[in-house]
Amino acid sequence: MTPPLYIALRFLAHRKRALLLSLSGVVCGVAFFICMQAQTQGFAKYFIDSTLGSNGALIIRSRFEPRQINSIVPTKTSNTNVAHRQYFEGITNANEIMRVSRQFSNVVSCSPVLRGTLSARSGFENATVELYGIDPALHLQTTDLAHQIAGGSLYDFRNRPDSVIVGSRLAETLNVEVGDTVQLLSPGAQYRRFGVAAIAKSGVGAIDSTRVYCHARVAQTLLRKPYAASLIIYKLRDPDRAPALAQHFENLFQHDAASWQEREASTLHLFLTLRLSAAITVSLVILLAGFGIFNVLTMTVLSKMKEIAILRSMGYRRRDISAIFLWQGGMIAAVGSLVGCMAGAFLSWGVSKIPIHLRGLLSTDYFVVAWDWRHYVWAILLAMISVFIASYVPARRAAQLPPVTTLRGSSV
Amino acid sequence: MKPDAFLSCQDIERYLGEDESRVHALRGVSLEVEPGSVHAVVGPSGCGKSTLLYILGLLDHPDGGFVMLEAEAVSHLPDDQLARRRNEFIGFIFQFHFLMEDFTAQENVMIPMRRLGRLPETAMRDRAAGLLEAVGLSDKLQRASRHLSGGEQQRVAIARALANDPRVVLADEPTGNLDTKNSRRAFELLQSIVHQNQMAMLLVTHNPAIAEACDWIHEMQDGRIIASHSRGLG
Repeated sequence: MTPPLYIALRFLAHRKRALLLSLSGVVCGVAFFICMQAQTQGFAKYFIDSTLGSNGALIIRSRFEPRQINSIVPTKTSNTNVAHRQYFEGITNANEIMRVSRQFSNVVSCSPVLRGTLSARSGFENATVELYGIDPALHLQTTDLAHQIAGGSLYDFRNRPDSVIVGSRLAETLNVEVGDTVQLLSPGAQYRRFGVAAIAKSGVGAIDSTRVYCHARVAQTLLRKPYAASLIIYKLRDPDRAPALAQHFENLFQHDAASWQEREASTLHLFLTLRLSAAITVSLVILLAGFGIFNVLTMTVLSKMKEIAILRSMGYRRRDISAIFLWQGGMIAAVGSLVGCMAGAFLSWGVSKIPIHLRGLLSTDYFVVAWDWRHYVWAILLAMISVFIASYVPARRAAQLPPVTTLRGSSV
Repeated sequence: MKPDAFLSCQDIERYLGEDESRVHALRGVSLEVEPGSVHAVVGPSGCGKSTLLYILGLLDHPDGGFVMLEAEAVSHLPDDQLARRRNEFIGFIFQFHFLMEDFTAQENVMIPMRRLGRLPETAMRDRAAGLLEAVGLSDKLQRASRHLSGGEQQRVAIARALANDPRVVLADEPTGNLDTKNSRRAFELLQSIVHQNQMAMLLVTHNPAIAEACDWIHEMQDGRIIASHSRGLG
């Protein structure tokens, strides 16, 4: 143990109240930071997981062609400017597109969907629904639909073409349960009856309140579409690389492609803003803790001027004196961070047990928290920086104290 | 200048304060301290005794002249080097002993040894215990220094000054805060250790009895040494 560390430990041990005050500031700051980040990222992650699980990481939709431009010289690039595109509803040759896209290493699986809007009726209840005509086998490979089933049986759905899976909140609106019948109104103003095979709950309000899954062939008949798929959903190994792949698919297939980041940009920005706002607010707690440590160490320097002078007379260097106070700050930061991390984890766990009936953008019955080691690293880093700055000034002041001035106080 | 002097200074000038309050504290002071000798610096308050002591102890810089430690000019050395020499060669004793009040007597004595870093923990403890035993405090090793009497605290300070086996002990009125009995006892203890170990000691004192018992007496007035005489020469 170095002499400054030894002396720092002794100084700390004899100022228990000040030590506890400083420690509690760091512990609270670190714990609150971790807990707030766990909550805000928890909801964001929940949303991302849910939306990826339901809508995939990437989708291909309408085919496009370059608009005819009155130019004698054709464009050299194959990239077609978005403003100069003409879109056509539906996907032509979906099977060929899926066959080619499966060759990409990032693609895990893909599934065609025929999407359309219909009216649904059950008893006296009516609702506008988004019909997803799917190939059950492919769709279950590509999405988390199997895990989203909150009631009923996927087996029934797969084996009965006249059955549907209804979103959980839509089921509440229509007042239907598994085994009930729901009527879907086709564009030809003809109602067709379907049995509710299962209820699905994705956790995303916009999906759960509108979506009905049925078999693709049934959907094509019901929606009277000339094409078999209006979009292709992709499950990717690395969803973070979705934007680059989307760009590549657009060029390759001449179909509009959108990554989940592009699709959910506004919601993701909202979560990011909330996270930053919470981080700034809680960082202030850590800064306040740093201010408390600054006060405590400054008072220590003032009360230990005599000791500092005597240490200097015994051969302790300026940097030794400085190290004594930096060590004190360092130990407060280290112990405070460690205890703060444990308190933060405990707080996050406690928060995740708080019941909350959320039925809006997200559907959840409990607070959602994310367990991410980076929250702990950031909290420790912030605490360390804050405490170092708070300790540096008193430490430097202590090192600069001329010992003769203090010693002269006793004799001239 | 004697070649065997442990500590010496030549033509030391020192100004204290600034502008109108500036005082010429030391005016061309020269002094030599040889091994095995005890020097007393006497004079009225404010004559520059303590200022001279701090400069000789490398705690303060002279404005003119130089200090030599074992024939090496040290006044110009950087702060780290000065600190190392203080730690290795010089032991300080102050009037108000300046112990670390949260530390035990033994821990106080170990503080300079820790900085020197030549002994392991157990050896440091043993040496501190030996030094405290030499000053008659073997039964109070673990007592917090703030719970010791004034005389005991000064004896701890003496033991601490001797911790790194210094060449020179500099004492600023080491008995000024003690009663006559403790004062005499502390001085005799210091004197015997200095003579026994062939160290050198320079002490600032107002006590004529102690000054008379030293090998050399230097009388200071207005920042100058006006007379130096060895014991018995008057």
